[in-house]
Amino acid sequence: MGHDGMFSGDTENVMRWLSGAGVLLGLASATVIVIVLARKAEWRASAAARWALLVGLFVLPSMTMLAGNVVGLHKSKQSCTQCHTMDPWVADMKNPASTTLAAKHYQRRWINEDQCYTCHSGYGLGGNIKSKLGGLSHVMHYYFTGVPDPLKIHEPFPPATCLYCHGETAKYQKIDQHEDAEMKPKIESGEMSCFECHASPHPRKKP
Amino acid sequence: MKLLTAACVLALFGIGVSLAHFLWPTPLLFASFMLLGQGAFGLAMALYVAVIVRDLRSRKVL
Repeated sequence: MGHDGMFSGDTENVMRWLSGAGVLLGLASATVIVIVLARKAEWRASAAARWALLVGLFVLPSMTMLAGNVVGLHKSKQSCTQCHTMDPWVADMKNPASTTLAAKHYQRRWINEDQCYTCHSGYGLGGNIKSKLGGLSHVMHYYFTGVPDPLKIHEPFPPATCLYCHGETAKYQKIDQHEDAEMKPKIESGEMSCFECHASPHPRKKP
Repeated sequence: MKLLTAACVLALFGIGVSLAHFLWPTPLLFASFMLLGQGAFGLAMALYVAVIVRDLRSRKVL
């Protein structure tokens, strides 16, 4: 018997459950707090009130926050296209006539999902956290300090991101320059960018 | 008692922001949850700890 429907182990479904749990935990926490606030001042000074608040102010909110972080940081993977600042680049990515690397990767589904996030986050836990917190700062810029014009990538795009998929392919390895004794270490160390030889993955200027 | 009430109000604010973030997971509400919601929760917890410590000191437990 399959695990479909509401008990599917699919990440999106797990996030829905976590969101539901977060809402219930938050409501339970609020209920405890409201009950404590509604009681008389003498009771609020009692040990029973302290224990109730240990649950309402500490235990339940901690679990709510944990669920909120997991759900929010997961959703942030898909949030790039929700920001109008990125509209021109998203349009290029989806334009069938575009020949940019990003458009090819997106339209041919060389990357199946979370395409922006896959290329713009480093691999491993540290990279994930860094890129998600980076996304958070982008939201802050959007609403409070304004979006810089022209937009620039925060730091040089690391060749390691391309090599993660391409590095071990026969097609990559049969290119002499990739295996060249002088160039190979420079590519692998990030000293040399893939885009010194290959076309820019996005349009150089705002499309 | 005022500290405890302040902690409760801050926690309720944090819960409100968290619920909004769960129900409408937009980038703005996520950013609000991360900064305002968790900030309010953190402050509420700190106030609660301060109340407990003060209480224990008054009873000469600490």
